[in-house]
Amino acid sequence: MTSRPRRTAAIAVTAAAVSIATFAACAPSAPTEGGGGGAAVTDATLTIATTTDVVNYNPFVGNSRSDYWITNLMYPHLLSIGPDGEKAPELAEKWGYVDDTTGYYEIRSGMKWSDGTPLTAKDVAYSLNAVKRDKPAGTLTGQLTNFESATAVSDTRVELKLSAPDSTVVPEVGFWGNVVPQHVFEPAGSVATFANDGKDGGWVSAGPYVLTEVQRGQSYTMERVDNYPLVDGGKPKAAKVVYRVYPDVNTEILGLKNGDVDVIANALPPAQVKGLQGTQGITVEEIPGLGYAHMTYNMNKPDLAKKEVRQALAYAVDYNAIRKVVLADQAVSTGSSPIMPVLKDYHDDSIKEYEFDPEKSKQLLTDAGYKTDGSLKFRLIYSLQDPVTTQWATLVKDGAAKAGVTIELQGLERNTYLAKTDAGDFDIYAGNFAIMDDPATNMALTYLPGGVINYSYVDDPELSSLIEQARVTFERDEQKPLLQKAAKVVRDNVYDNVMYTQNLYVAHRSDWSGFVVKPSELLSIVNPISVASATKSESQ
Amino acid sequence: MSLFLFVLKRVGRGLLTLWFAVTVTFLLLRLLPGDPALAVANPNMTRETRAALLTQYGLEESLPVQYVKYLWQLLQGNLGISFHQNTEVTTVLMERLPWTLLLAASSLLVTVVVGIPLGVLAASRRGGLWDRFVQIVAVTGQSLFVPSLGILLLYVFGLQLNWFPIGGAYTDGTYGGEWYLSVISHLVLPCLSLVFAQLGAYVLTMRSSLIDALGEDYVVLANANGLPARRVLWKHALRNALLPTTTLVGLQLGFVVGGAVLIETVYAYPGIGRGIYEAVTQLDFPVLQGAFLLLAVTVVAVNMITDIAYGILDPRVKAAS
Repeated sequence: MTSRPRRTAAIAVTAAAVSIATFAACAPSAPTEGGGGGAAVTDATLTIATTTDVVNYNPFVGNSRSDYWITNLMYPHLLSIGPDGEKAPELAEKWGYVDDTTGYYEIRSGMKWSDGTPLTAKDVAYSLNAVKRDKPAGTLTGQLTNFESATAVSDTRVELKLSAPDSTVVPEVGFWGNVVPQHVFEPAGSVATFANDGKDGGWVSAGPYVLTEVQRGQSYTMERVDNYPLVDGGKPKAAKVVYRVYPDVNTEILGLKNGDVDVIANALPPAQVKGLQGTQGITVEEIPGLGYAHMTYNMNKPDLAKKEVRQALAYAVDYNAIRKVVLADQAVSTGSSPIMPVLKDYHDDSIKEYEFDPEKSKQLLTDAGYKTDGSLKFRLIYSLQDPVTTQWATLVKDGAAKAGVTIELQGLERNTYLAKTDAGDFDIYAGNFAIMDDPATNMALTYLPGGVINYSYVDDPELSSLIEQARVTFERDEQKPLLQKAAKVVRDNVYDNVMYTQNLYVAHRSDWSGFVVKPSELLSIVNPISVASATKSESQ
Repeated sequence: MSLFLFVLKRVGRGLLTLWFAVTVTFLLLRLLPGDPALAVANPNMTRETRAALLTQYGLEESLPVQYVKYLWQLLQGNLGISFHQNTEVTTVLMERLPWTLLLAASSLLVTVVVGIPLGVLAASRRGGLWDRFVQIVAVTGQSLFVPSLGILLLYVFGLQLNWFPIGGAYTDGTYGGEWYLSVISHLVLPCLSLVFAQLGAYVLTMRSSLIDALGEDYVVLANANGLPARRVLWKHALRNALLPTTTLVGLQLGFVVGGAVLIETVYAYPGIGRGIYEAVTQLDFPVLQGAFLLLAVTVVAVNMITDIAYGILDPRVKAAS
C-alpha cells in the first residue's frame, strides 16, 4: 500500500529514462574541419526539401522521387536532357550506332569514384549487363528489351550488342541508366537485391556529392566530392547538400518561407505558384514538362471500341477551362498529340486539339445510334492522391453531361487505382505519364498491342506499323515523319485523349542562384549539374 | 492460486493475443487491393519482371504456405527483409524506434505528472470553480482529434508565434548540447499534442476515484481523529485512489502509440508512425508486419506487467482469476 504512487511515477520515469538513455548515444559528433580554403559563402550548405524518404539507395531499384534525386548525385547517367528535350552529354560525350545492332558510348576520361578508383567503361558495361541479368525493379530494366550485352572495348568506349535493330536503345539506356561502381556492386551479388545502404563502409560516388549521414524520416546529408569535372572549376560550389524530409508540399513551403530550407525539390501545387512568385526573398523557376495528363478509353468495352463514341467524348471536354481553372494557366495544349511541344524537333504544330463542342458530340452519338439522354454511362477512374486530376475529373463529368453522356467518377486510393488500371477494370482511365522523353519508345509502350501502358488496348495495324518502323529508323529526318503520322493517327482515332502538358514550378530562396534547371520533375532544379552549380550570394 | 501460476496464465494470455495480432495483420495486408510489385512498378516494367518481383517477395506461394513460413521465421526472431529497401526489417524499425519511444515516454511522463495533481485538485474542490475548469479542459482535450490538435498547435506556436520548429526531430548541423536542445524544442509540440489528447482520461479517472475514496469510512475516521486535511488527502485517500490510474497507464499506452503514429505524420517526426505510413503506400508487407508486431508487443507487454502488478498489489484480483 505504501508504494503505489511511487510505482506509478516509477513506471513513467523509467520509460522516460530508457528513452533518454537511448538518446544519450544518439547525439551526432561534430565533423572534423576539412576542405577549407574557400570563402565562407562557397562552403555553404544547400538544404533541399523533399516529401519522401529514400526507399532504396540502389539506383537500379529505387523508384521514389527522393531515390532518384539522391542517387543521381552519386551515380552519373550517361546522358542527360537539354531544355529542348534533346539528349545531352553527361558521363558520355559521344553516343550513337556503329550499325543497326551495335551501339556505343564514348565516356569522359579521367573520371574517378570518390574512393579514388578510376571510373572506366568497365563500370558502364558492368552496370548494363548486371541489370539485364538480374532484372531489378527500376526503370532501366524496361529499356533493355532489345539490349543483349555491353563490352568495354577501351577505358572510355563501351559497345552495346542488340538482339534486333532498335534506334531507341542507346538514347534511352543512356538517359535512364545510372553507372555504378563495379568494385562495390559486384561483390554484393545480384543488383536486384543489393540494398547499397552504406553499411559496409559508406557510399562511393562519381557525382558531385556523396551521402555521408542518414537519419530516416529526418534528413540525408551529402558532402562535396572535390573532383567533379562536369561543372565550371571542376568542383561543386556548396560544401554540403542536406535533403530534409517534410510531410507534404505545403509544409515545405512554410519551411522555405521560414528559411529552414533553401530549395523545394517537389513541383509546387498550381494554386501556390502565384503567391510564392510575389513573396520577397523567394524565386520561382519554371521547368518544362516532359509528361502529359490524359484519358484513355478502354476499347475492350463495346461502346468505347467505336471511334464515334471516343470522338464524342473528346469533343465533350472543355480543355481550356481545365487548364485555366484547375491548372491556373500553367499547362500547355499538346494539340491532343502524345508528342510534347518541348520535343521541338518531333512536335507537329499542324495537329490541333479537339474543341469543346457538346453539340458535335451529340451529333456523333446520334449518328452512331445512341441516345443522348444520359443513358450512355461510363465509369472514370482516377487516383485520389492526385489532387489536380481529382479536380478536372469533375469538369470532365460536367462536360459529358452537356453532351448527354453520364460519367460516374470513381476516385480511388493509389494502390487500388493501380490494381484496377492493371486489370483493365475501368471504362475511362484518367492519369498522368511523368516523363515521355522519347516518342518512339513511349509510343511503343503506349500503343502497341501488349504494350505495358497500353491502357486503351488499341490494336491498330497502321499505327503499329508506323511505330515499329520508327523504332528501326536511325536517321532523325526519316524517323520524324513516321512518328508525326503516328501521333496524328492517335489523335484522330482518340486512341488516347492527351489533355495538356503541365509546366512545373519549383521555388528556392533568392540568396541562392546558379541553378541549371532541366525538363521534368526528376531532373528539374535538383539535377547533379544544377545542385553542383548553385551558389549562395554574400549580399543576402 | 500461486503467484507463479497467476503470472504463467497472464503470460500465456499475452502470447495468445500476440499470435492473434500477428495472424490478423498477416491476413489483412493480403486483403489490400493491388500488389507490392505494382505499388513500385515503373510504367515500362514488363509483366515478366513483375512476376519475378512477386516471386522474390515470396508472394507467389499459397497463403497457408506464406503464413507458416512467416510464423516459422518469427519464431526464429527474424522479421524478414523489406520488399523495397532490401534491408532487414529489424534494422528499418530500429532506425525509427528511438524517436517514437522518446515521444511516447515523454508524453506519458508529462501526462502523469500533470494529470494526477489536476485530478486531485478537482476532487478536493469538488463542485468549485477549479473543478469545473479542470473538467472543461479535460473533456475538451479528450474530444479533440489528435491530428487536428497537432495542426492547430503547429499553426499557432510553430508558424504564427515561431516559438517552436514546424517539423523534424532536431536541427541539422547541430552537435553536442546544442543538438539535445534542438531535440527538446522539436519534441515540445508533438508531445503537447499527445498530452492534451490523453490528459482528460487521467484527470477524470483520478478525480472520480479520489471522490470515491474520500467518501470511505477510513477517511471519515481519519478526519474525525483530527488529522490535517492535506495529510488525509495525500497520504490516505490518494494512495487508494491511485490504483485505477495505474491501470490506465497500461490501457492508455495503445492510445499513445496510435496517437504517436498520427502525430509523427503531422510533424514529420521520424518515428515508427511515419515509417508505417510510407510502408502502407508502398505495400511493404514485411515492414508493416514488423511494425505492427512491435506495437502489439509493446501494448501487450505493458498491459501484462500492469495486470501482474495489479494482481500483486491487490490480492483480490489474483484470487478472482
